[in-house]
Amino acid sequence: MSLADTLSQIKATFPETVFDVTEHAGEKIIHIQGLVVLDVLGEFQKSGFNFLADITAVDNMTLGGFERFAVVYHLLSQETAERVTVKAYVSEENLILPSVESLWKTADWQEREIYDLFGITFEGHPNLVRIMNPDDFEGHPLRKDYPRLGRKERDNFPIVERRIGRKAQRN
Amino acid sequence: MQHDDVKSNVLTTTLESAINWGRKNSLWPMPFGTACCGIEFMAALAARTDISRFGAEAIRFSPRQSDLLIVAGRISIKMMPVLIRIYEQMPEPKWVISMGACASSGGVFDTYSVIQGIDRFIPVDVYIPGCPPRPEGVVDGLIKLQELVDKEKFSDYAPPATNS
Repeated sequence: MSLADTLSQIKATFPETVFDVTEHAGEKIIHIQGLVVLDVLGEFQKSGFNFLADITAVDNMTLGGFERFAVVYHLLSQETAERVTVKAYVSEENLILPSVESLWKTADWQEREIYDLFGITFEGHPNLVRIMNPDDFEGHPLRKDYPRLGRKERDNFPIVERRIGRKAQRN
Repeated sequence: MQHDDVKSNVLTTTLESAINWGRKNSLWPMPFGTACCGIEFMAALAARTDISRFGAEAIRFSPRQSDLLIVAGRISIKMMPVLIRIYEQMPEPKWVISMGACASSGGVFDTYSVIQGIDRFIPVDVYIPGCPPRPEGVVDGLIKLQELVDKEKFSDYAPPATNS
């Protein structure tokens, strides 16, 4: 099934939840409501888009968009070499998306990364814990309202003094 | 014993300078390489610059067997507790070289997650500038540290703090 057929089929199956289909640099982008992402990606997988190249997220706070956050899935069909981008929008009030880990195992760590840096929860994920920041870290640093220099977490360590030798008596 | 034998076999020195001489010429580095500085440090170990000429070739990845901590690379907020722990595990006397811009000041990484200079939290003896420093810079830093070790005074050695 070609990409155009798949897109029109998905538009027919999810009429309310497909916001828009746009094109950028010759590749299709389908904008959908976040809660149906598992069903939409399942349809894509069935029609030959068998490879999940990447998942990332965008904070639209200063950009504008359908909702504040968009989780972006890049799919590749290894049969037809076609690519498609799926943008799943979630609002700030309801930051929950279904996990696509059941479709592609690679989504496991990618979704943990988005959970860590954006605070978006993935329902049905087997192990949704922080992947990069320390476990006791507070906040989600890739959000646009997180200060670039942080909230003093980089200054908050015990100071180890020199015990013996040069300058030890200064303390 | 003949007078000539005495002249050629006896050396007078102070205990302080004899011990410092021994220490400065057999520094055992513990490399803490977290970025490209770690790669340059490996080059400093290799044949062209060869820091074994200065007695510092015994690289130990166990802090308990080392007396020189070489911090080579940026230290993130997740790595800083590890670095402090490794520093505290090293036996006294110990020295620290901060290699490169990131370890010394955070470098270009002025963000929430990068420590803006390890000297905010652990004592540093020698800073090597560069991004990353050339292996020759590492050798120069090592020689600078040897000069510092040579000047150490026993009178500077304060007894360990007691918590009574």
